[in-house]
Amino acid sequence: MAFAARLVAVSVAVLIGVVLAFGEEIKTNNGPGCAAAVDRFFAEEVWTKVGAQECLKCHKTGGDAEKSKFVLQDPQRSQGADRDAAMRHNRAEFARMAQVKEGEQFRILLKATGGLDHGGEEVLKADSTTYRILADFVRRTNAPPAERLPGAADDKHATPFFDGVVMLDDRRLLRRATLSLAGRLPTEAELSAVAVGGLNALPKTLDDVMREEAFYDRLREAFNDIFLTLGIDGNADAAVLSYEHFEKTRLWYQKYDLSHIADKNERQRTEWKIAGEYRKALLGEPMKLIEHIVRNDRPFTEIVTADYIMVSPYSARGYGVFDELKEQFKNSDAPFEYVPVKLKALAGRNKQENQDSETGFYPHAGLLSQFQYLARYPTTETNRNRLRARMYYQHFLGVDVLELAARVSDAAAVSAKYEVPTMQASECVVCHKTLDPVAGLFQDYWRFDANFAIYGKRKEGWFTDMFGAGFEGDDLPTEERWRSLQWLGERTARDPRFAVAMVEHVYYILTGRKALLPPKEIDDPLFAAKRRAYAEQRCQIEAIAGRFAQNEFNLKRVFQDWIVSDFYRADGLATVAKDSARRAELDDIGLARMLSPEQVERKVNAVFGTPWGKLHDQMAMLYGAIDSQEVTERAFDPSGAMGAIQRMLANEVACRQTLRDFAREPAERLLFPHIEPSVVPATSPENDLAIRRAIAHLHERILGRHDAVDSLEVERSFQLFAGIVSDAQMQKGIERIENYHCRHNVPDAPADPHYTIRAWRGVVTYLLRRPEFLYE
Amino acid sequence: MAEDARLGEIGLRLKESPMRRNFLKLCGLAGLGLAMPFDWPITARAKDDDGAYGGPYYLVFNASGGWDTTYLMDPKGINEINRLYQEGDILTRGAHKFAPTAKHQQGGMSNEDFYAEFGDQLLVLNGLDYSVNNHSPGARYMATGKLDSLAYPTFAALVAACQGPTCPISFLTFGNYSATGNLVAMSRVPYLPSLQKIANADAVEGNARSPFHDRFALDRIEQALAAENDARAQEPRLPRLERAENMLYAAQVNSKALQRVTAYIPSSIPKERLSQQAEIALASFKAGVCVSANLTIGQFDSHANNDVDQMKLIPEFLAGIAYVLRRAEELKIRDQLVVIVQSEMGRTPTYNKGNGKDHWSIGSIMFLGRGIQGNRVIGATDEKQFHIPVDPKTLACDKENGIRVRPEHIHAALREFAGIANHPFSKRFPLGVLEKENLQGLWG
Repeated sequence: MAFAARLVAVSVAVLIGVVLAFGEEIKTNNGPGCAAAVDRFFAEEVWTKVGAQECLKCHKTGGDAEKSKFVLQDPQRSQGADRDAAMRHNRAEFARMAQVKEGEQFRILLKATGGLDHGGEEVLKADSTTYRILADFVRRTNAPPAERLPGAADDKHATPFFDGVVMLDDRRLLRRATLSLAGRLPTEAELSAVAVGGLNALPKTLDDVMREEAFYDRLREAFNDIFLTLGIDGNADAAVLSYEHFEKTRLWYQKYDLSHIADKNERQRTEWKIAGEYRKALLGEPMKLIEHIVRNDRPFTEIVTADYIMVSPYSARGYGVFDELKEQFKNSDAPFEYVPVKLKALAGRNKQENQDSETGFYPHAGLLSQFQYLARYPTTETNRNRLRARMYYQHFLGVDVLELAARVSDAAAVSAKYEVPTMQASECVVCHKTLDPVAGLFQDYWRFDANFAIYGKRKEGWFTDMFGAGFEGDDLPTEERWRSLQWLGERTARDPRFAVAMVEHVYYILTGRKALLPPKEIDDPLFAAKRRAYAEQRCQIEAIAGRFAQNEFNLKRVFQDWIVSDFYRADGLATVAKDSARRAELDDIGLARMLSPEQVERKVNAVFGTPWGKLHDQMAMLYGAIDSQEVTERAFDPSGAMGAIQRMLANEVACRQTLRDFAREPAERLLFPHIEPSVVPATSPENDLAIRRAIAHLHERILGRHDAVDSLEVERSFQLFAGIVSDAQMQKGIERIENYHCRHNVPDAPADPHYTIRAWRGVVTYLLRRPEFLYE
Repeated sequence: MAEDARLGEIGLRLKESPMRRNFLKLCGLAGLGLAMPFDWPITARAKDDDGAYGGPYYLVFNASGGWDTTYLMDPKGINEINRLYQEGDILTRGAHKFAPTAKHQQGGMSNEDFYAEFGDQLLVLNGLDYSVNNHSPGARYMATGKLDSLAYPTFAALVAACQGPTCPISFLTFGNYSATGNLVAMSRVPYLPSLQKIANADAVEGNARSPFHDRFALDRIEQALAAENDARAQEPRLPRLERAENMLYAAQVNSKALQRVTAYIPSSIPKERLSQQAEIALASFKAGVCVSANLTIGQFDSHANNDVDQMKLIPEFLAGIAYVLRRAEELKIRDQLVVIVQSEMGRTPTYNKGNGKDHWSIGSIMFLGRGIQGNRVIGATDEKQFHIPVDPKTLACDKENGIRVRPEHIHAALREFAGIANHPFSKRFPLGVLEKENLQGLWG
């Protein structure tokens, strides 16, 4: 057998840590699973550091050691009572094995160190911490009952996790939420509702916020950060709609009747505009599906089960379904008005390329079967749909199969030793036995050039040197092949990991951070603290996932739950955390997320009434944006280049808005409704008080702070304002009007004889550079 | 003034400003390093006159997708490993053996020309065990020296955090795995002129003659921000908020140094992918605002038509490296450049049915630049392209008692080389290399 067959694209991936249990019954998420099922020593030491990290890789159903006498269960595959049962099972298995001896030595310790012909060879070194933990467990298990003392871990963490953490007050929480979800400040009515009802009033308020159009804009943008479907290579009319199946319709705009436009150049420009909007409409379909599901409170499981796609009048023309849909559109010439549609099975240019379908319809399976998703994650002859399988696990089950690949002692030798390493070498099988069946489910989307085709079968039939099509122990029935992705979607929707993955996605949307991974360095002195941080967050995630499932997978509920959670509200500390372990526990707590370019623009718009307008294209990329193609992860830590952009933003927005606001009638002002440029500091107590009140208003509007007029915060801004005015009075030749650039395009711009307008501009600049504005 | 003294040791100086004292404190609080007691790397130096970072500058060239080392620095020509040449065609230059590519290259720079120009400066390590055959973990492992963690910083990020915490774009990346370990901000600069737009952020349209604020007003604003940060530092904060706020403040303070870049922005931008990236990195180095950069080109993943792809990409890659070295010479920073040339995996010793080569976990890495003795080749692969163990003390091949040289060995050596092995940031991300496995004398 040639290497071509042996060394495929994803050949020696070894999966640990994120363990894919195999062949276990899929159980729907049924609620939180954070209760302690077994003693702490076993849970936090033996299982966390040894069992989950090492033994479970093979000693499980479907694993390499599934026929051994030591078969464990993966607690991560279940929730609540089922998880407790899995842990009890594992505890019992370990305890049983810990009592078995070979001569004078314990069998489990011999096996773990590679003795007794252990299939996994040496998994624990005799001088390692993990071995000592296992040996301690063996000793405890075999000790007389009176000597079975609790482990050191038993009494840890007596204090609540969030003890001493200061939460954001309800008013600021509401502002954070409305800005995050809808890019606007809270209304007076919303503020009143929360003032009266407290945190309990928030879900209802958020529910209303999540009906606004701006929320759906944010939703699409946020989920594209995850699925990246906007990053399809090439023009969407060719990359999404293939020549093979949409030859006659995909370039409809080229024949679109524009004869009513007399001017040739104008006609050409119009065609280009239509083409551009058509391509954008096509690209937008996957995220429009998400919007449709959330907007209509449909189960979010439809992202893998929906038997329809969303099309606009423009994209419908590309699919060739416009005529049958046109009555459903409010405006049949609106490029971005979307309606659901179920496509007919694909018809090729010749019958061989016709799509199999028992119903006559395309077997839609939410995003999984959308051309955009398949084109964004294409396959190659050697990749064999493994990229798609990998992305499936990452996107829909929250499992990154390549995240924590283990080192193989000699990967090249393994590759050379076996004819089909992915089916024979245990290092490879551990991952490929899970990954490859899912890859097989995509087998009928076997074309490598999306421009030509996406759907199409492999002429030679699917590969036999791969594990067959299926999902985690279930083989795909032959009669289901035509709808294999629907078959996958149905199982995905029932898998408890789906709900957890979606909750993690929302966490990412709200915080810009991925959920914590379990710490691996067990010799790290801060391991226990990091482990606790992980466990606490995991507990919250699973609790929200449980409610998500119980609420018919309504995604809005997940947003609500996260926003009222301690993880989202944590904002400070009552006292300084000096202890390194406590600091490690709290290391990931607190939002502190630098706003993305899009969010900055929305926030400027919310506060000032118009966006800055410069954070796009290259400037946005410089500020950490993504292009969904080459750059796929946003940068949330500010570099010096971003710092420069923040200075620019502060200078320009303050320049543009301060004088303009003063030029309005007081009642129409956003920034300075209660102060006039004639009010000069240090001229009377009343004037100083008026200035402080104006500052407090600015703090609330720009920063979301509610500072008292006699607070240190207001005092600092007051000193800035007064200092600038005072300095100006000592300067010679200072003009009595704002500078040209700031008064440009401001009708009826007031003069600035006291330099107060420019001083206010300095205050606005100062506030715009503060973390309260630039961070979420 | 102890902080000032520490600052002086590395010669990094901020211009006197109302923010300076405050900033130093913040850097310490933020974990940005300045206020931490440790031995500063003796290899780091900086100009004293304007606070610019003066080198060394670290450039990591990445051949993304997996290069075919047998068409570059580890030629075979036997066992049907190569179709474009035979064993007898292999060329030598000093200590180097390399594959002949002049007849097959599609643009770019041939091995012959590359070795003729740079062979005497080049250190090659063959037989590197990448340990995995997958792009994602391979890229992570090669970039960080740690396979099983997503938390570790890349070497480029780590050295930037250690040696240039106040540089506004200390760590520049154009792709490849670029994790920072939360030590330093990652900068992406897609287009060099975009830096020009933001270089004078306090002036209208970047025109220094048209400041937004009068000088006294701007000073007041900076003072207020400094006072605000001082006040915040006195409050108990969550570690994450503390870090984020300090990074934000430092970013705004440091951003002023970007003004220096404008002088080095070339009038014309080259067309080649690597050269474009190189111009951005070199201008940033020259301006003293950057410590390290990841430069990368992709498409090396030649599962189909290996020879065609590799003969296009390897010459393009080498031409990019040559461009950087020549331009650095022109900019008079060549003597401060440290260049690392790598990929996340190699290609198999046999061709597949599509005339391609699949993933192979054994490969090579190359270095050249300041402090690196060239004209040397360490390690080897055998006739089947398997690795040959290396004695870490002598660096000679030793099949019986040698070790498998893996990315963590390379990274441990790089940290030593850069003088950051004992930096608290490095210690926060241990590589776990045994003392006896340290590659002694790797750099000559």
